[in-house]
Amino acid sequence: MNIRPARVEDLMGMQACNLQNLPENYTMRYYLYHALTWPQLSYVAEDNKGRIVGYILAKMEEDMEAGEEPHGHVTSISVLRSYRRLGLAKRLMVQSQEAMATVYRASYVSLHVRKSNRAALSLYRDTLGFTVKDIEKKYYADGEDAYAMRLSLKHLAR
Amino acid sequence: MPPAAIPAKRALPSKEGSLFKEVLNLYETRQLKKGLKTADQILKKFPEHGETLCMKGLILTHMGRREEGLEFVKKGIRLDLTSHICWHVFGLIQKGEKNYEEALKSYGQALRFDKENLNILRDAAHLQTQLRTFDALVETRHTLLRIRPTVRQNWVALAVAYHLNGEPTDACRVLAQYEATLKNVPDYDVEHSEVLLYHVRLLEETGALADALALLDDSAKSRAIVDRIAIMEFRARLLSKLGQDDAVHTWQALIEQNPDSHDYYRGFLSHRDALTDENRGQALQILKDFTSQIPKAGAPRRLALNLAHAHRGTEGDEFKELAEPYLLAGLEKGIPSLFADIKSLYRDSAKRQTIEDLVEALREKLAATTAVPSGAADAEPTTYLWTLYFLAQHYSYLSQHTRALELLETALAHTPTLPELLMFKGRVLKRSGDPHGAARCLDEARVLDLQDRFLNTKCAKYRLRVGMIDEASEILGLFTKKDAPSPGADLEDMQSLLYLTEEADAYLRKGNLGMALKRYTAIQKVFDELEDDQFDFHGYSLRKFTLNVYIDLVKWEDRLRSHPAYVHAAITASQIYVRLHDDPSIASRVGSSANLTGAEKKAKKKAKKAEKKVQGESQKGSPAATSNANEDKGLEPPAAKDDDPDGAKLLQSPDPLEKAARWLAPLSTLAKPSVDGWIATYDVAVRRRKYLQAVRALNAARALDGEHPELHVRIAHLRRTISSAPQPPPAPIGPVVTAAVSELLPEGVSLEHFSSQYLQRHPANPLAILASARISHLLQAPREEVESALFGVFNPEVQLDIRGALRISEFLDEIGSPRADEFRSACDARFELSTVFKSPAEKTALRWNAAESAAVTGDADKVEVVG
Repeated sequence: MNIRPARVEDLMGMQACNLQNLPENYTMRYYLYHALTWPQLSYVAEDNKGRIVGYILAKMEEDMEAGEEPHGHVTSISVLRSYRRLGLAKRLMVQSQEAMATVYRASYVSLHVRKSNRAALSLYRDTLGFTVKDIEKKYYADGEDAYAMRLSLKHLAR
Repeated sequence: MPPAAIPAKRALPSKEGSLFKEVLNLYETRQLKKGLKTADQILKKFPEHGETLCMKGLILTHMGRREEGLEFVKKGIRLDLTSHICWHVFGLIQKGEKNYEEALKSYGQALRFDKENLNILRDAAHLQTQLRTFDALVETRHTLLRIRPTVRQNWVALAVAYHLNGEPTDACRVLAQYEATLKNVPDYDVEHSEVLLYHVRLLEETGALADALALLDDSAKSRAIVDRIAIMEFRARLLSKLGQDDAVHTWQALIEQNPDSHDYYRGFLSHRDALTDENRGQALQILKDFTSQIPKAGAPRRLALNLAHAHRGTEGDEFKELAEPYLLAGLEKGIPSLFADIKSLYRDSAKRQTIEDLVEALREKLAATTAVPSGAADAEPTTYLWTLYFLAQHYSYLSQHTRALELLETALAHTPTLPELLMFKGRVLKRSGDPHGAARCLDEARVLDLQDRFLNTKCAKYRLRVGMIDEASEILGLFTKKDAPSPGADLEDMQSLLYLTEEADAYLRKGNLGMALKRYTAIQKVFDELEDDQFDFHGYSLRKFTLNVYIDLVKWEDRLRSHPAYVHAAITASQIYVRLHDDPSIASRVGSSANLTGAEKKAKKKAKKAEKKVQGESQKGSPAATSNANEDKGLEPPAAKDDDPDGAKLLQSPDPLEKAARWLAPLSTLAKPSVDGWIATYDVAVRRRKYLQAVRALNAARALDGEHPELHVRIAHLRRTISSAPQPPPAPIGPVVTAAVSELLPEGVSLEHFSSQYLQRHPANPLAILASARISHLLQAPREEVESALFGVFNPEVQLDIRGALRISEFLDEIGSPRADEFRSACDARFELSTVFKSPAEKTALRWNAAESAAVTGDADKVEVVG
């Protein structure tokens, strides 16, 4: 599959992909907000016909406390079930992290994952090297807790 | 210019004058309640003070008292027509209602009386962008820059305005001037970096490639541009365009950075001349080199398969040599998308046969060793499974559905718990005309992994395809927000075009035109929302200096309605409106609640309840409202409540053709043109007696596909419509139309002859047979004749497929043919696996009681067994 930076015309495909895969969904405005604020950070995977089969929607953290280092955040990442086992999530993540580090000098990247989502947890922890930093109680709308995870990007600093 | 004297009616004594300033401040800080009180204080003494009345109206609107507020605003304007404040307020309210055109007019008035008001100028610029009046935008941006040349944003905004107005050279000039004035740009300034990248893009667009490259290289070296990927992408592209050998290195660096981007390999290869037979081998070698350099990259392996030639049966078949390890690796790894990945190679039949031979050979080998289902943990059993899965897809793609099903049965006997097998079995059944069996398969697949929304969505979609609308909704509800009024309401809020399209189509198939229109209209609303979404970014992106992506946004918005979901909804909704126009009695017939499904009845009840609740709240709300009167409800009107729960109002709209025309208007300029779009446009235009438009639509369709069956029917229809009209269309249009018609169909040729000639050209095409029958029907041929022509599709030489057969069956119903059932049972016999031609009673028997199956709730025990 083809992996490349997301463009404005990809956002509807990303939204459709997200709606098919995950219970956390957003209106187009939120996708536009990401793309028009941090145009370098989101990536897509597309098939031969140009259909979006996976994406990472990412941003820089905005509400920072004094003295906090700039860091990236993965708002959403997913791959259509029929395009799994190709390592697309990892490839998408790696590209986004590189951009966070070089364009915004992010020192780490954070994300949230449902406590019950064992498959995702194992992807982030075992494949991508994230560690659990915290548990956020009732983070999701349905009351489920989230693991707040982090991965250092210091090695990408230039 | 000295300020004009304040008109007497606007002047206030000093006490009230300062009260008015306070009103403005209170409004700015959204202290609405206090603001209202202060305004009333002024109005007590000066009830005719226009500006105060307008401010009061504006504050009331923010408090949610919209109608009352608007009255005050209008009254205020009438009393002071030359106040910029009054017009500004009116403009704000119109903008809030998304009535951009009227808002811009009001801003224009405001600017007449206060030419240099920054807020008004900025707002006007955003409206001009939204309305694409770029000439005026350039002027506004000029004014802003002249007034505030020290604001960085104003320079960039003028450049963007020039660019949008098609003057990239002027845009470049402005940016160059701007860059020259900059001092002390901090290190690592992402905003400045974005402006420079925008400048490079502009230079590229003007064709000044060398300048673009120079600016890029300088800014990269000085680290003023910080986006490394963008630097490399621009550089590689510019060098390639300039024909410089250096390009190769930059493309190579990009590939090393992201070895999965097809664009980068294409860039690398295309730089070395266009592909010819000689350099094809060279390109292939390059891809092989990349494969060994970057073993983890999938792209070079896959792209090599496109380039390699298949020489079946000869030594040194380069395609086979590459395809074998590629396929084997995919099957061993159990990659579900392997077939989807390679099927584009099937255009080359030699490649297709090579792949079939390779995978069949593997299947035979594995069948011998792993035919016995066992839980053994060696790798081979799953390879066998994925091999069967691959071959099933292969044969189904070649329309050998029975073979595909056999392979899937073998695979399922081996491993009954792999959802992919059941999902694909569902797909094969769907393609064979058995949507009922397909839906059942998807149910079975879904329970194998209840956490997976993908399976959930697919399952619901298949249920909708067989008209199980309530049952689909229950499934969807397992993943939608629990506090939403219904699963569908959440999906609509989240702008799910998939759901809206599938449910609309499902209602249409059931003949529930009202609900179908309601869902299509929801799709239209989603696109309206997406168009509105850009508004805030006209200001935001300039503040953030994300200019390249902003320009892309504006251009994307202009082609927004080329999206397939819009095109489909537009064509289908217009067809419904045409039906309603042709037979207005449909509206009253299908509108009755006898036809409602359970979900619609529920929806109706819910809507009534909600309405009562709203009324109740507003009643008790009125005295208590003061408690949170400061709450700012904004200027956008709240979402209107649903007063048409079953689409009856849409059905009864008095101007169905105007509605249809509104749907279709974007297609003529925006969409990638399609014959279906032009046909739909014709159908509406001819009924509106817009003959010129009708002719143009047919000419456009003919340019795309002159032999299209639907086009053929319309040409006959147009000739007949024009010639049977009591009088020809008047000049100047009449002669033009007549000439255009004879261009499409020479005057001497009779419609009968025209039709039979067409049929002779396409004797094996069932849709051509249908088209010809439609024309006979149009010419009032005896029904028996039309019917027997249609039964001709069962002749062995005709390539009848399920879709064609369904269309013919629909047409037989349309003309009230007594032989429609006979036709369907013949189809039922012809397409052995199909269920779509069964009688309604038989179809009902096929519907299983999904609500009672464990599939809905996902019985925990069952999951355990399965998992």
